[in-house]
Amino acid sequence: MKKIALFIFMLISVSINSQSKYLTKTGTVNFEASVPSFEEVAAKNNSVTAILNTENGEFAALALVKAFRFKNALMEEHFNENYVESDEFPKAIFKGTISDFDFNKLGTTQNKSTINGSLTFHGVTKKIEIPLTITLIDGKINMSGNFKVLVSDFDIEIPKIVQNKLSNEVLVDFSFELSKK
Amino acid sequence: MLKKIIIIGVVVVVAIVIGYNYIYQDHRDIETETAEFILSSNEITNHFSSDPTTAEQKFLNKTIEVSGVVSDLGINEITIDDNIFCQFTELNQDAISPNSQVTVKGRVIGYDDLLEQVKLDQCTILK
Repeated sequence: MKKIALFIFMLISVSINSQSKYLTKTGTVNFEASVPSFEEVAAKNNSVTAILNTENGEFAALALVKAFRFKNALMEEHFNENYVESDEFPKAIFKGTISDFDFNKLGTTQNKSTINGSLTFHGVTKKIEIPLTITLIDGKINMSGNFKVLVSDFDIEIPKIVQNKLSNEVLVDFSFELSKK
Repeated sequence: MLKKIIIIGVVVVVAIVIGYNYIYQDHRDIETETAEFILSSNEITNHFSSDPTTAEQKFLNKTIEVSGVVSDLGINEITIDDNIFCQFTELNQDAISPNSQVTVKGRVIGYDDLLEQVKLDQCTILK
């Protein structure tokens, strides 16, 4: 009898565990550091992995730096080789927790929230608070938002010659459609 | 005198063309590149899980050919043997079916620690 109870308990706990994770492998992260009247400095990454634990609101996202694509091939090459040194630092990782997360409160109406965590990029880890909206539509959790970071905060040097063509302030926007694992 | 002007003019035009082609050069075309490494899905994941740093130095940004069984099929991406994620610019859904054997060429963009998968982009299906 005890064994059966234990077995049922294990079965339930396994099913709870499997239900608490939502993830995507094709999340989008874009950034832009353009200066008006100069060539656009912007890139898109649409193979970002993101995982949300719906039990406690813990969230992690991993963007591979080489997956950021620019319109201009030379800009992409310079970005990878001279600025973010993607051979040495191939990943950008965010880990954080959504404040007051409650899965049962999610719905089709846009739920404003913030996520507190740390962003690791180019070998530098910085604490960051990001506002975001969360919805739950057709069993999929949509998280989106944007935030600003400073190039100088991440130990990235911009040569003087391009300093007026490249903003120190980078606008990052993200969008994740997470499905139950 | 006229000759000089013509020569200077030609030099300037050539310089502009070269400069323009340098600044607005084309992206790499992974599809037409020859693969530097040809391996199975498990071979490359083993490299990355056992020694990520060496594997990154060896494979990052390189064009490779990977073969295995399609374990997951998305709109523009497939997963091979649960451990290689391949993103396509445009995936022809008719060319592929779940659980079938596949060989894919693509660029290694890195290792995803969260899912323990190697990621490729700009993929094409070879067979």
